[in-house]
Amino acid sequence: MPEVTARGVRFHVQTLEPCGPCPPDPPDPPTVVFVHGLVMDNLSSFYYTLAGPVAAAGARAVLYDLRGHGRSERTPRGYSDAEAVADLFAVLDALGHTRPVYLVANSFGGVVALNAALARPDRVAGMVLVEAHGPAERPGGWNENMLNTLGKSALALEYERLADQLLAIGWRQRGRQAAVADALVNGTSLLDEVAAVEPVRPADLAAVACPVLAVYGERSDVAGAGRLLLRSVPDCTLHVIPGLAHTVLREGTAELLEVMLPWLSHHAGTRVPVTAGAGGAL
Amino acid sequence: MTRVLDEVVAMLVEVVGEDFLLDLEVGPDTTFNDDLALESIEFVALAEKLQLRYGPAIDFAAFIADMDLDQILAMSVGDLVAHIESRLSPAAV
Repeated sequence: MPEVTARGVRFHVQTLEPCGPCPPDPPDPPTVVFVHGLVMDNLSSFYYTLAGPVAAAGARAVLYDLRGHGRSERTPRGYSDAEAVADLFAVLDALGHTRPVYLVANSFGGVVALNAALARPDRVAGMVLVEAHGPAERPGGWNENMLNTLGKSALALEYERLADQLLAIGWRQRGRQAAVADALVNGTSLLDEVAAVEPVRPADLAAVACPVLAVYGERSDVAGAGRLLLRSVPDCTLHVIPGLAHTVLREGTAELLEVMLPWLSHHAGTRVPVTAGAGGAL
Repeated sequence: MTRVLDEVVAMLVEVVGEDFLLDLEVGPDTTFNDDLALESIEFVALAEKLQLRYGPAIDFAAFIADMDLDQILAMSVGDLVAHIESRLSPAAV
């Protein structure tokens, strides 16, 4: 089903059912839900990296575009952490996934995942937090980097990562991506609402009841959030990928999978592919 | 043009929009990135249409599992059609 309506908003959803070699999957496989980052991001960043291997390991992979992102509906308001948490569970309700799920979150998606786990510990069985924003010792300035990045993201993504492609492609992708970013940043209250989001402080992190795998890049602006997770969350594993900055999901996909699939196997009972760690094609 | 090629082109028109494709003759050599300027999220939409039309036999997830996004988008329409046809025709497997 490509779309669901939740809280009156139309969300683009993709589900990859468990697949892969025998033995046959159990009748009720674990559900892994992917929560992407802000503005220039959408579910495709997981679709091409982690979702396929997770489905191949025997889990049901559920991907959705956050409100206003990708192919989901853009509303004028509703971009706070609390709204995003409510959206997440409403989307899961609409899909009929009422049992506890595993959340895999990237960047700002980490804020959503952490708050979701704190709000509804009965519905979150575990979390993989990739370069997650959110954890901070004290309010004020904690999301400055993220907001700066957001402000620059439309330009940075266009001119850095996509630069060579843009030359060949011409106006279409560039025009549309800039239009999406512009509509979100300038046409909604997203930036104001995100600026008002409170960090997740150590006392709250200590209350996270589920296991957490945190993966950060060694050179990341938010690497401190990873160390804080490790110190504060009772059941947390931190993996730091050497040499990488905030782009772990895209640039460190293979290593991320090597850490994440065994972790999921241990906690969710999925399979560990025999090829993991064997120097895969990525 | 083969039947599968016709169908894939029709899906691309739905995903990308007719306006953009008007000036473009889509054939086997058309590439998703350079020629069609397909966005990654649009390729997701195309993948979903392929799954709906051809079913699990084409195992699209496995097909793209060994490629990164740049490699996927560097494919041509013909590459994709060839994969689908090989999966649909047991003799060719």
